[in-house]
Amino acid sequence: MKKILYIIIVFSLIFSSCEQEFVPDINNSPSDIVVEGYIEAGESALPPYIVLTRSTPFFNKIDSNSLSNLFVHDAEIKVTVDNHEFKFTEICYNNLTTEQKKQFSQLLNVNLDSSGLNFCVYVEPTFQLKGEIGKTYLLNIKSGEKELSSVTTIPQHVKLDSLWFIQPPGTPSDTLRQLYCYILDNKGIPEYYRYFTATNNSPFMTGFSSVTDDKFFDGLYFKFALQKAEPRNGEFDPITYGLFHVGDTARIKWTNIDKDHFDFWKTLEFNRQNQGPFSSYTRIKTNIKGGLGIWGGYSTSTYKLIVKK
Amino acid sequence: MKNSFIFSLVLLININLNAQNRHTLSGYVKDKVSGETLIGVNIYNSADPGTGTITNEYGFYSITMPDGNYKIIYSYIGYEKTTKEISLNSDTRVNIELSEGIQIEEVIISSKQEDKNIQSTEMSTIALPIESIKKLPSLFGEVDILKSLQLLPGVQFGGEGNAGFYVRGGGADQNLILLDEANVYNSGHMLGFFSVFNSDAIKNATLYKGGIPASYGGRLSSVVDIQMKEGNDKHYSAEGGIGLISSRFTVEGPIINEKASFLLAGRRTYLFDLLQPFLKSTNFAGTNYYFYDFNTKFNYRFSDKDRLYFSGYFGRDILKFKSNERDFRFTVPYGNTTATIRWNHLFSDKLFMNLSGIYNVYDFSFGGGQGDFQIDVASGVRDYNLKLDFDYFPNYKNQLSFGFLAIHHKLSPNIAHATNGEINFTSPLKPKYGLEYAAYFQDDIKWTSRLSTNIGLRATAFSQIGPYVSSFDSVVYNDWDIVKTFYSIEPRISLKYSLSKESSLKASITPTTQYLHLVSNSSSTLPTDVWVPSSELVKPQRGIQYAAGYFRNFLNNNYEASIEFYYKNMYDQIDYGESYVNKPAEEVEKSFVFGEGRSYGAELFLRKSQGRLNGWIAYTFSKTDRKFKDINNGNRFPVTYDRTHDLNIAVNYQISKKWECGGVFVYTTGKTYTPLKSLFLIEQELNIEYGTRNSERISPYHRLDVSFTYTPYPESTRKFTSSWNFSVYNLYNRLNPSFIYNDITTNIETGEANVKAIKVSLFPMIPSITWNFKWK
Repeated sequence: MKKILYIIIVFSLIFSSCEQEFVPDINNSPSDIVVEGYIEAGESALPPYIVLTRSTPFFNKIDSNSLSNLFVHDAEIKVTVDNHEFKFTEICYNNLTTEQKKQFSQLLNVNLDSSGLNFCVYVEPTFQLKGEIGKTYLLNIKSGEKELSSVTTIPQHVKLDSLWFIQPPGTPSDTLRQLYCYILDNKGIPEYYRYFTATNNSPFMTGFSSVTDDKFFDGLYFKFALQKAEPRNGEFDPITYGLFHVGDTARIKWTNIDKDHFDFWKTLEFNRQNQGPFSSYTRIKTNIKGGLGIWGGYSTSTYKLIVKK
Repeated sequence: MKNSFIFSLVLLININLNAQNRHTLSGYVKDKVSGETLIGVNIYNSADPGTGTITNEYGFYSITMPDGNYKIIYSYIGYEKTTKEISLNSDTRVNIELSEGIQIEEVIISSKQEDKNIQSTEMSTIALPIESIKKLPSLFGEVDILKSLQLLPGVQFGGEGNAGFYVRGGGADQNLILLDEANVYNSGHMLGFFSVFNSDAIKNATLYKGGIPASYGGRLSSVVDIQMKEGNDKHYSAEGGIGLISSRFTVEGPIINEKASFLLAGRRTYLFDLLQPFLKSTNFAGTNYYFYDFNTKFNYRFSDKDRLYFSGYFGRDILKFKSNERDFRFTVPYGNTTATIRWNHLFSDKLFMNLSGIYNVYDFSFGGGQGDFQIDVASGVRDYNLKLDFDYFPNYKNQLSFGFLAIHHKLSPNIAHATNGEINFTSPLKPKYGLEYAAYFQDDIKWTSRLSTNIGLRATAFSQIGPYVSSFDSVVYNDWDIVKTFYSIEPRISLKYSLSKESSLKASITPTTQYLHLVSNSSSTLPTDVWVPSSELVKPQRGIQYAAGYFRNFLNNNYEASIEFYYKNMYDQIDYGESYVNKPAEEVEKSFVFGEGRSYGAELFLRKSQGRLNGWIAYTFSKTDRKFKDINNGNRFPVTYDRTHDLNIAVNYQISKKWECGGVFVYTTGKTYTPLKSLFLIEQELNIEYGTRNSERISPYHRLDVSFTYTPYPESTRKFTSSWNFSVYNLYNRLNPSFIYNDITTNIETGEANVKAIKVSLFPMIPSITWNFKWK
């Protein structure tokens, strides 16, 4: 609804509003530790990993060196499930072999070759820890004096029932297609979904709004459109946004997440969009005690299909 | 001669014999040209100005005095003072017609007794006659009552594009805005750039920000009582204006001479209609925005004792957006509808009654979609209101008012119906219903020539009623079943003590209760915001305000000055939590958090109402904060509209008979905002962690507006006259930041990130021209 109001104001402000850049007062409060960790269950589940960074005060421009400095090193991390404890160890991009770098990039969905950024993650080195549906995972982190903890559950998975392409709405197109899916939602169980898309060999990405609950379609056999995610730094084109190109291979990763995990993404996406004349601020929720970020479980399924005419 | 001597003797004896006999002088006061009744006219005995009265909102007055010969003075700002010699020995009805004063200094009869602000118990109250509002410069030449009220002390301007205004630290939903007694739930057109009130149809606007009379209730902070014109009952007349973005036209006249009259007024914007040819060949063909409104009023005088009024308002904002390439479209209509039917009856010269039946609706709807996906969302408020009010004037020392009202409310949250071409689905939300009752009594008592009090009591009750299903225990309530009831007793006290003929001290205590709430997640109020009732989920808001002031007039009452201090406590205040996100399938009440508020301040006001140079200076020093357990870790924080300093200067100067100029200067402390505290990486993108709520301020807001009005033939006796108004809004092109945002780009693959903090200002210098005409 707010976006619509933006359009209203754009229309009412053809009298040219004026934008000025300014330097805000820099807030010198101590930085927080930011956790970004996931544990997946499903056919092509990724191994669990945790990225540990520090929040930074306002800056105008930051280079790869300063970005590299945000990573928190030498933290003690353990994940506990069913009374078994798994210790995590840190690996950094710059210390890896070419083959390892490739795997690393796949895990994080990012190509770091030319960035000069020394990206570090914590992984479970024995690969004995695997996500399982229905299980709850406790996370404990110790970094210097700081102690952080969190808990997440991998919920039951609801697969997509079917996927197909149709002509996009409006003017018919030879090259663009809209992806649709059906899902049979479980009745009476609150479900939270998040999805990613990719084309050909590109990494999985999420759109502006990647999560939904089932409040509107609880227990229904339900049809809806899936939007193709675009790189965040690209130009936004409302005519082609969300549509797949004929001939490409479309890949979809469909996941179920728990309530806290859903709240994190919902508030984060709202926070990104909710700036401007009609907005207050939205504080991003976290399930991390003692820090920011997310420790999130996913139950996943992936799909691959060629975009046909 | 002999006869007259005997007559005088008889009269003298009569007076002697009936020394204690009292009789009542009563009647209506009207405008001589249009026959419009005049509200708030001062009526007093020239020998004892302290014993006066004023006309009520229907132009009726009544004053009971010992029999005798009196010089009664009728005076009203902008009108020539009239003196009537009256020999009172029986109940006497005197209807008076006042002529508008000519605004050239030498002709104005200096109104020495125009000291209502000193003598009455009323405080924290300002009446703005529409004529003085029309003389001020305005944005795009659109005269705006609500924007003019924001130039008064104690009233904070919400910012450009914000329909909301903030009185003595209260929220935007805490103002009761009445148009002929009908509640106007959304007072802004075009998101609040303009108010819904067409100035040509309005007679009078009064703002009560403290010492609120017991006859008003239902909101915590203020009352804006707006009366529509009744329509000229003597002859037909028309007036209108053609401006850059809109035009307006009003016609009024008698249906039966001096017995029945009507008024019809309309206004519509056309800026985007003019752009249609340019949009036609683009992807956005069919996109448009406009607003319009109609005001109408009829009245019929059955006799001197009975009069019937009907008034109505209908306004709509309509936005249509189309992006044809991908078949994306939506239409947003919203607006208010009000209808009021009133019956005035005089039981006697001392007892005046008004019975009103009021209907009002605010609707917002959205219909849009893409391809075969369509969603329709609607929300709104609907009231049926029955109201009975009495004014009783037993003697010149007492003036009583009492009455009763009952309102049936229906409040619809955003209820969505959607279809994806196969399945229709509807959000589970349902409207809520409420019944509100109020009874009040107040007595304005003149104890001595120095001391007066206004003591009132308002008792209210509000019941949430069915149909409703409890979201706590799933209990089903049928139509009219009571879910929950709240009560409130509000003793209202105002007191005046005259120090001299030109100065007085006043104080008041005003407890208030509010049963309907509008909570906004944004920094301004929006047409999408939803009104919710007090219910098992939300308690009524309660407040109490203490105010005291010193009132002083100078130079034959040509200058009015006052200083007022206030302190206000507000309980059961409502806000959204800090991590609020839209949840269309959930009641908004579930996202509310509750807390308390306080505000205090000092207001200085200096006004000159007459002469070639007139206007006012208003300065307010204030502080307003809130305390919520779930916001800011339970620490106090200032509200967005907390403005430490607020200075407003409004002046009007008659340069010559042909030229008149006006100016407005506004300076306020910048509004608060929540700053960025830090940035953090998630999925290789930077995100914002916000700092303490409202802990920073945008730079101060100030601007100067000027206007010139040129009347080519000011002394023309022709039926048709016209004038040109040239206005410049924001003359020195101050770029006042309206809001700020952060633009963040993160590119992990190149290892770089940029963050920009940007402030946006909406209105640069805006000149406008309006041609106004009148046909008498």
